[in-house]
Amino acid sequence: MRDPSSLKQQFLKKWILGLQVCGSGKQNMSILERKEAIKLSADIALASARDGRTRWSRATIANASKHDDNKVLVQHLLAPESESLKKSSIGLVVRDNKRVRCKKILKWSCCVKRVRKSVSQVVLAKSIAKRMVNRKTRVLKSLVPGGEFMDDICLIEETLDYIESLRAQVDVMRTLAKATELVNGK
Amino acid sequence: MDTSDKDKFELEKSNDNPINYHSSGGMSSDWRFNSTSIPNSSLGLVPTDNLMSVCRGDLVGAASCSSSSVIDSFGPAMWEHPTNSQNLVFCDINAQNIASSSNTVGIGKGFPFSSRNGIDRTLEMGWNPPNSMLKGGIFLPNAPGMLPQSLSQFPADSAFIERAARFSCFNGGDFGDMVNPFGVPESMGLFSRGGGMMQGPGEVFVGSGMKSVSGAQTQKNVMNAGEASKDVSMSADHMATEGSPLKNETKRESLARSRDESKKGAGGSGNDSDEAEFSGGSGQDEQSMLEGNCGELSAKSLGSKKRKRSGQDAELDQAKGTPQSAKGSPETQQKGDQKPASTTSKASGKQGKQGSQGSDQPKDDYIHVRARRGQATNSHSLAERVRREKISERMKFLQDLVPGCSKVTGKAVMLDEIINYVQSLQRQVEFLSMKLATVNPRLDFNIEGLLAKDILHSRAVPPSSLAFSSEMPMAYPALHQSQPGLIATAFPGMESHSDILRRTINSQLTPMTAGFKEPAQLPNVWDDELHNVVQMSYGNSAPQDSQDVNEPLPPGHLKVEL
Repeated sequence: MRDPSSLKQQFLKKWILGLQVCGSGKQNMSILERKEAIKLSADIALASARDGRTRWSRATIANASKHDDNKVLVQHLLAPESESLKKSSIGLVVRDNKRVRCKKILKWSCCVKRVRKSVSQVVLAKSIAKRMVNRKTRVLKSLVPGGEFMDDICLIEETLDYIESLRAQVDVMRTLAKATELVNGK
Repeated sequence: MDTSDKDKFELEKSNDNPINYHSSGGMSSDWRFNSTSIPNSSLGLVPTDNLMSVCRGDLVGAASCSSSSVIDSFGPAMWEHPTNSQNLVFCDINAQNIASSSNTVGIGKGFPFSSRNGIDRTLEMGWNPPNSMLKGGIFLPNAPGMLPQSLSQFPADSAFIERAARFSCFNGGDFGDMVNPFGVPESMGLFSRGGGMMQGPGEVFVGSGMKSVSGAQTQKNVMNAGEASKDVSMSADHMATEGSPLKNETKRESLARSRDESKKGAGGSGNDSDEAEFSGGSGQDEQSMLEGNCGELSAKSLGSKKRKRSGQDAELDQAKGTPQSAKGSPETQQKGDQKPASTTSKASGKQGKQGSQGSDQPKDDYIHVRARRGQATNSHSLAERVRREKISERMKFLQDLVPGCSKVTGKAVMLDEIINYVQSLQRQVEFLSMKLATVNPRLDFNIEGLLAKDILHSRAVPPSSLAFSSEMPMAYPALHQSQPGLIATAFPGMESHSDILRRTINSQLTPMTAGFKEPAQLPNVWDDELHNVVQMSYGNSAPQDSQDVNEPLPPGHLKVEL
């Protein structure tokens, strides 16, 4: 595992930065707005902590950049990083879309008619298991940002990295929440 | 799925990880396969994957592969804690190859971290030209200029060197470089070869079958008879991924095999590449035919089991080479490299197995797979198998990460657990962000303020703090660098305060963190804020400073917080 504490520190740094950017803009935000801002800045901070080395992070940044109002935040958080990262994030989605489409087309074209014969129990069980796995893979793809464009192997690797980052994010947010509670409780 | 894999392979170019990954994987699988002396190579590919990930980490870095970081984490883990015997065996072999186990481990560890970029580029450089030659430039070749600098960074990784050497093997002229005094350990030979090789990657695929055979033979003569023969047999023999005689592989053979890797290039690389999952469709028919033939031969050789490598191997190799070349002639992919392969296959029928069969042609950027004994040698099934093994390899890592998955086996259930875990983590993030939103009316996380207030007001220093204080100093050195950065960005104008003040605050902080769920990690988290805390506490005594500190925040906030 990568160093979790350094990841957390990086994440926290960027998150606070992002929150300041968010908070300086508006006043009297509703609770939902605040929550969204917090979450958004947290997600972007987490993704940028990966320095664009992972696909899901690039996908997150790309998705966030789609909305103009987030662009400022994204740029602010990514300022220290290279411009290429931002560009690659933005272009990533388009490229991946095409790739996925091409793949799917090829897959379908090469897919011959499925002959359904009377199969043995073993084969039937295998096919059922396969279908289950495919279904779950689809669900996982929907969970991991940018996962729809990855193949199985990449998906699992991205999931690994994503889980690790999510864990760090949850830890940091939890401690911050507790601290705030403690402080406010005084 | 094979089609999709192929498609993916072709569609995902240049920067995509999979390509580099696969290419490196193909490479690594070749030589690793050879070098492992594991009898039952059912996991033949698994160790390669493990080790490949290490190798891959280097490749990945250059290609901005997403998994590079993952690989990095995997790499050291694998080197240090080989989880399966194969890894151990491989490590052992590596140790032999490198003539010092410590080097292996050190190299493995240092590999991804120290010279990753250089190695990446070098590797890519080494791989790319062959790839481009093969498939018309699927991979963007890296600037050859990279080589000179990166050469010095070549890790003393025998596998790495073997791969590099492999490419150069195709060029018969380079064999001279490869010939080394045999006093030098195998790995050293590979080193020099690799070094020499890297300079002429462009010629990798130009070498014809004859050339490679002759080169192999030349090499053979130079090298130890036994090992040389292995090499030749390896190269000549099979790329075909037939039921390979994993059982027959012994350490000696594996050693030789690793050398064979380099020579392989000469041997019918085409066969291997075709056998590999991602080869072109046209070649596959020939491949399968060739494979089938080779398979039979290898099967026979397998039956003989662990023939000692000796001078006869040389003849065997030559003999093998001819039948393979004959069969391989129709295959045009590898520019007539079939010859050695065919000869080898013929010879294998005669004599014991060469062990070399396990090696796949490294020439291609394809993943070279060796069909296990008794398994289908169809390229599709091979590709499927490789893919399955890769996926299962990664699932193992996920098992460690996701709590409660250690007892679970099977993809579906594992995926279920993973999905649940990711969903729960995402929900937690949502919940916590909502919580933070409610707690902070103005989105101003005045952490310093929070901490300072807590510290100032909570004078209690529970005895548990003493336990934590020991952790603090450890966290300090790592955080000292980050703190100034944080302060600089978050609070322009605030500079670091005295360390003494920081430490006192820290020691007081630890009791606070004791109540949290993960106190061990908290000090790290809080250390960033510690700085703020220090400043805040400083600011409390000097209101003007706090104003500066809170400059970016609403000035009234400070009062509210405190």
